[in-house]
Amino acid sequence: MGLSRSAQRRIAVVLADVFGESLDVASAIAAFLDGYLRRAPPRAALGLRAVVWGVTWLPIAFVGVPLPASALSPRTRARYIDRWVHSKSYVLREGFYLLKAIALMGWGAQDAVRLRLGVGPLTAAQP
Amino acid sequence: MTDDVADFVVVGSGAAGATAALVLAQSGREVVVLEEGPRVRDEDRGLGPTESFMRLFRDRGTQVAMGRSVIPVLQGRCLGGTTVVNGAIVWRLPEDAYARSFGAAGAAGAIPHAALEERMDCIERDLSVAPAPDRLLGGNGSLMKAGAAKLGWRGHAIRRNVLDCQGSGRCLEACPTRRKQSMEVTYLPRAAELGARLLPDHEVERIEVVGSRASAVSGRRADGTRFRVAARAGVVLAASAVQSPCILWRSGLGPREHVGKHFRLHPATAVAGVYRDPVRLWEGATQSYEIDEFRHEGFKMEVTGLPLELAGVRLPGMGAAFQRSMADYPNMAVWGVQIRAEAEGTVTPARGRADLAYTPTRADMERFRAGARRLSEMHFAAGAARVYPGVHGGPEVLTSADELGQLDGLSLDPRDWSIISSHIFSTCRMGADARAGVVGFDGAVHGTTGLWVLDASALPTNLGVNPQHTIMAMAMLLAERLA
Repeated sequence: MGLSRSAQRRIAVVLADVFGESLDVASAIAAFLDGYLRRAPPRAALGLRAVVWGVTWLPIAFVGVPLPASALSPRTRARYIDRWVHSKSYVLREGFYLLKAIALMGWGAQDAVRLRLGVGPLTAAQP
Repeated sequence: MTDDVADFVVVGSGAAGATAALVLAQSGREVVVLEEGPRVRDEDRGLGPTESFMRLFRDRGTQVAMGRSVIPVLQGRCLGGTTVVNGAIVWRLPEDAYARSFGAAGAAGAIPHAALEERMDCIERDLSVAPAPDRLLGGNGSLMKAGAAKLGWRGHAIRRNVLDCQGSGRCLEACPTRRKQSMEVTYLPRAAELGARLLPDHEVERIEVVGSRASAVSGRRADGTRFRVAARAGVVLAASAVQSPCILWRSGLGPREHVGKHFRLHPATAVAGVYRDPVRLWEGATQSYEIDEFRHEGFKMEVTGLPLELAGVRLPGMGAAFQRSMADYPNMAVWGVQIRAEAEGTVTPARGRADLAYTPTRADMERFRAGARRLSEMHFAAGAARVYPGVHGGPEVLTSADELGQLDGLSLDPRDWSIISSHIFSTCRMGADARAGVVGFDGAVHGTTGLWVLDASALPTNLGVNPQHTIMAMAMLLAERLA
């Protein structure tokens, strides 16, 4: 269970806004999500995939706009993401945190990000 | 068909299984150790959280306990078990914790505190246990030490099982320099030298019983083929407080009213502080300093060297605000509070996994609230410019100690907190008879001969201190009696 290229493109637009990153960096995070979904246990993968779907396709329910999140104006998308983050529903709020947590692993693993923050690149063992 | 036969079959290779295997091998018994997870190769070490979760953790790091909230429960799943991926913390079981656990269960006669202490002495020599020296405290530990000193709270450098630690701050990814004295570099190779056969990638599903005697185990290898290993003297279950009860349950063994029940945790949460000077979480021991001033109130506090990939999850802000928050990462100290929770949950086997159910009680949440306030107070005492409590509905950030009062109103709903646990207990707890627990004070499963549970699942309750040392000492003592 992974993400199609079009699903990656759509969620990358959202992740770029969440992390304040370029679309290139966000696309790498989306590719990481695809790889993660393919390796994760089925139950976890199903949950994460459902959140990706929901974040992509539910602006109609959260901000009343019948478009995918990637097609919203930046201002509306920011309002939409904020609704997820501050939702009164624990399931929605935690669903978004799940996406953010997994996406952060893809974000923090990128050498460009690590160098920017002064953290060395990930290296293999040096026994 | 039987693939192997030995005097003792040890199921699990973590703190308890490795210790039991070594003791049995030292006494000349023929031992097979079956481990569900893979062997840890050098190329698996220090690869960052994602690869560590994927290669070395149960359910690839996604195991959770479900209840009113979702609580991640982290466990190693590799040769050496959780000892490979923990913070190398070694805590001698204090008298009061012993009294609350072994004493309260009526085990003092069979498992005297002094007998555990003798085994702890031995383990500490074997695993080079010593307090983290000042050079390994790192910015994270040094700040906690300074904050505690200013407040007059009792704290100390954490005693760790490491040899010539390089302070790479990556204990949780399997020590990249093999300096952590975890089971895959200590007791397991020693047991193998004495003839024990270590079989990674072997997941035990069931224990076979002839009459009332455990005679063999069966299960599945990682490649999908089935195996069966016979035991002449018996089977030692040491597969963790999640897997041991599941194996008993699937095998129809042990008193049903207790197997998988009484699931106890040390749930934990963290509070981050941002300082004017660099902290550099990635330098020094992953966990180097702790505060036990409040242990008698039900919580203790430790530094937690969170990697970049995990540090930003609960930080507020999106877009440019997120970037500003993460730009503080080099100046961020992260401290955790771990509580001795009174809640009990359950572990039950499901298809291909275990179902964990757990909800903290109100009293547990009050401990969290008190702990989060104490951590925040200590951050400010240490000079933090900003503190992020990370609790939904509470203040996103505090900028002065004058604002600490805002934390007194933090929610007591576990759904508003970010809670995690890696210490799990008591799902096959010991008791005098089958009405009180799953195993007796010798670790033997009530109603079955030739079958012992020697891991954290046999502990009468949670301890309130980091459990690896107690688990190993108990396994050593009880395995000596089997040998």
